[in-house]
Amino acid sequence: MRFQLAALSLRRHASRTLLAVLGVAVSAAMLLDMVMLATGMRQSFATLLGRNGFTIRVSPRGTLPFDTEATIAQARDATITMQRIAGVTAVAPVLGTTIHVLGGPNPVTAFALGVDPAVQGDYELLEGREPVADALVASDALLRATGARIGDTLDVAIGFDPQIRTYTGRRRVVICGRARFTYLSADDRAAALPLASVQAMGGPDRSDRVSLFMVRTAPNVDPEATRLAIERALPRVTALSTAGAIAEAEHRLSYFRQLAFILGAVSLIVGFLLVTTIVTVSVNERIGEIAIMRAIGVSRSHVVHQIVIEGIGLSLTGAAAGLILGVFTARWLNSILRGFPGLPDAIDFFLFQPNSAFRALALLVASGVAAGIYPAWRAASLPISATLREEAVG
Amino acid sequence: MSGQPLLLLRDAHRDYPHSGEPVHAVRGVSLDITQGEYVAIIGPSGCGKSTLLNLLGAIDRPTKGSVTIGATAVSTLPDKAATHFRLTNIGFVFQRFYLLPVLTAQENVELPMAEAKVPATERRSRARELLGYVGLAARADHRPAELSGGEQQRVAIARALANRPIVLLADEPTGELDARTGGDVIALFDRLNRDGMTIVVVTHDEKLAGAARRVIHMLDGRIVRDEPLLRRA
Amino acid sequence: MAPWEAAVRTIAIDQRLAADAGLRVGDLVVLAAEPGRANGDTVRIAAIVQRRADPSEVARSEYRIRMHLDQLQRIVGYGDRVDRFAIATAGGAAADSALRRINSVAFGFRAYPSREIAVETSKTFVVVSRFHRAIGMITIVASATFLFCIMLLKVDERRRDVAAMRLMGISRATVVRTVILESSFVALLGSLFGVGLGFVTSALVNAHYQAVYRTPLRFAIVTPGTVAYSVLLSLVLGIGAGALAARRLARTAPLTLFGR
Repeated sequence: MRFQLAALSLRRHASRTLLAVLGVAVSAAMLLDMVMLATGMRQSFATLLGRNGFTIRVSPRGTLPFDTEATIAQARDATITMQRIAGVTAVAPVLGTTIHVLGGPNPVTAFALGVDPAVQGDYELLEGREPVADALVASDALLRATGARIGDTLDVAIGFDPQIRTYTGRRRVVICGRARFTYLSADDRAAALPLASVQAMGGPDRSDRVSLFMVRTAPNVDPEATRLAIERALPRVTALSTAGAIAEAEHRLSYFRQLAFILGAVSLIVGFLLVTTIVTVSVNERIGEIAIMRAIGVSRSHVVHQIVIEGIGLSLTGAAAGLILGVFTARWLNSILRGFPGLPDAIDFFLFQPNSAFRALALLVASGVAAGIYPAWRAASLPISATLREEAVG
Repeated sequence: MSGQPLLLLRDAHRDYPHSGEPVHAVRGVSLDITQGEYVAIIGPSGCGKSTLLNLLGAIDRPTKGSVTIGATAVSTLPDKAATHFRLTNIGFVFQRFYLLPVLTAQENVELPMAEAKVPATERRSRARELLGYVGLAARADHRPAELSGGEQQRVAIARALANRPIVLLADEPTGELDARTGGDVIALFDRLNRDGMTIVVVTHDEKLAGAARRVIHMLDGRIVRDEPLLRRA
Repeated sequence: MAPWEAAVRTIAIDQRLAADAGLRVGDLVVLAAEPGRANGDTVRIAAIVQRRADPSEVARSEYRIRMHLDQLQRIVGYGDRVDRFAIATAGGAAADSALRRINSVAFGFRAYPSREIAVETSKTFVVVSRFHRAIGMITIVASATFLFCIMLLKVDERRRDVAAMRLMGISRATVVRTVILESSFVALLGSLFGVGLGFVTSALVNAHYQAVYRTPLRFAIVTPGTVAYSVLLSLVLGIGAGALAARRLARTAPLTLFGR
């Protein structure tokens, strides 16, 4: 009968109950979104970095991968040194540069990666074959910009000097494949060529140089130990494990995590306050009824249970509605943040993880319980005769 | 009517704090009510009659003295025990009916039985039976807002009888009713008493007081007159 | 100072580098283009400079030093080259005229007004702004719902008072005006409190993030426009909620309000 009474009491003031549920739903949606924001970046970044099994990134000392234009010299020797370190199963060199596709009225500029196709981890081949000398794979955006297809030949150049309008290297290459570049956005014009081609086209400045190495370690090897070994063997580099990269990214994006925490906490407080207020006012209106129930022998705990059930009802319904609303608002907010220039396609800021989401909503419902307990207990503990007398006079 | 007292007050006092100076609502009242009696307590407003009824119903505790109902010293019971005692032994009827507006008449009658953990089928059937007893079987599925004042009070009486109490206490049961509907309630009380129910009413209503078999007059928190057998016309 | 030290050139380093590397004015350091190179240039730290309040530098952990151009060109092997020139003019028409002349004679490079560069490089912050606006919109919706709910409750609590007033002959319009007046007062007080709270929290936000990112950049700024917008919005929401709740109550018959 307690559930029945609780439900009927909520229905008694339908518009008020509906508003309260709406308020709790918006709070729940905000809370859910903030939980998704707090965990989403980390999770999707970790997934991105962990793709293809590369656990360590090696960049010029004091820099992060592709943070600057600095390069690592004596790349061949560095590769051999790293391959000799216990636990290293593959070393993938990468040289990044700007490439110009010539031939049209205006050259098309793209980002080019010089890679070793046998061990590369920068792109996923969608169509065609891996590039060999004088061939490249291109992103869809580059193909659209140049109007080219697989099999076409492009006139490409690297190392443009704007003052004397010359290039350090120029050659004709065949488009041998179409690829999705893992660490770039879908709108980026990008190409991948064999490392030797890019180094040769880059002139003496690019000879035997790379922008970064990606290192794969054996499954049972501690990446941190390998990372330290690399830094000891090559003092002119900085080695960053996946965990370290995530920590660095989290530091740079700590603003969003902290914002998520603050807004999440505020949402929880607002939801709690709303349920407390609704329950308190509802109880105050029914003081006489509550006193009568106590007078006819209904126990204090029954009264408290009934009122707490009302609080739970509001919170649960609001949380359920908030779950749906939260998923939609998260998609909207995610689409806004995905507008960051240069953000890899695979990165999502808002990631729905059922465990975290349900824990957060359970917390909201628990706060609904807590919100109902105090006003309920107060009402149930009022002196019956004095309350009846006041209600009669009122 | 058994000779053993069912309700016993011994030197009961009830004081309320009020701006430093306590109000002595009941002052040293001693009272015996035996099983099957029909007692009316009358007196001017503020004389302490409702407070006395609250003491008799274990709703309130005396500041001094004792209250015993049956074999139970209710004035010393902890709150939980007193609540349960009220649920299973005392039926209370109030001036303002105090039915729960969200429940139907039947559900209002079922409420005390649900609290006493009476199985659903049994309490539904008893609720219907009680509503039939008070003449409202046809209105069982109506909410209080759909019932007249007299009908609401009869539902309240049925609710008070739900757990087969040993005594029925009524505080101004006809206070909000007109003469005709008040008369219906008086007749119902009479019938209940003839069926063996011990009844104590607090009232200003002369007709109701006249229907009782014993009238206790109160003034300033004390019993000033106790007429155990009132002749009926 | 040793005689050979007089020939040493000087550099300025930023606060972050000074703090992390434990460097002070007067310290000697070696600058080289490659790590681990022994034959770099020995320089003396002549100054420690505050980082710029540049949003694009906020999340970057890099250190910055300032040194003589020719020395840097020599150390990195850049030759007689620069990345860009920054040109100061007398402003206004002088800047436009300089821009035209430079672009007409430039060979291999272009000149841009500084504000154009700022717009191009602030795409990231456009995204952040949009995100903040979206969060703001959600917060406003939540606040409006909460506010309306609370107003409804508060006005409902006055049901009997309103009923008594109506029974005495006081008109609906007067009742509604009274309730609106009360809700306006509450909304105004709340707005003022909110503005104060906004100043305090923005100070806290700035102090916190300036410490986290080690930058003088101000992350939250309360401007007169922001204050005016917030106060206006909260007044509209608060009074609107009160008005809606009051009208609802005034439309109900007095005896119904008494529960009869």
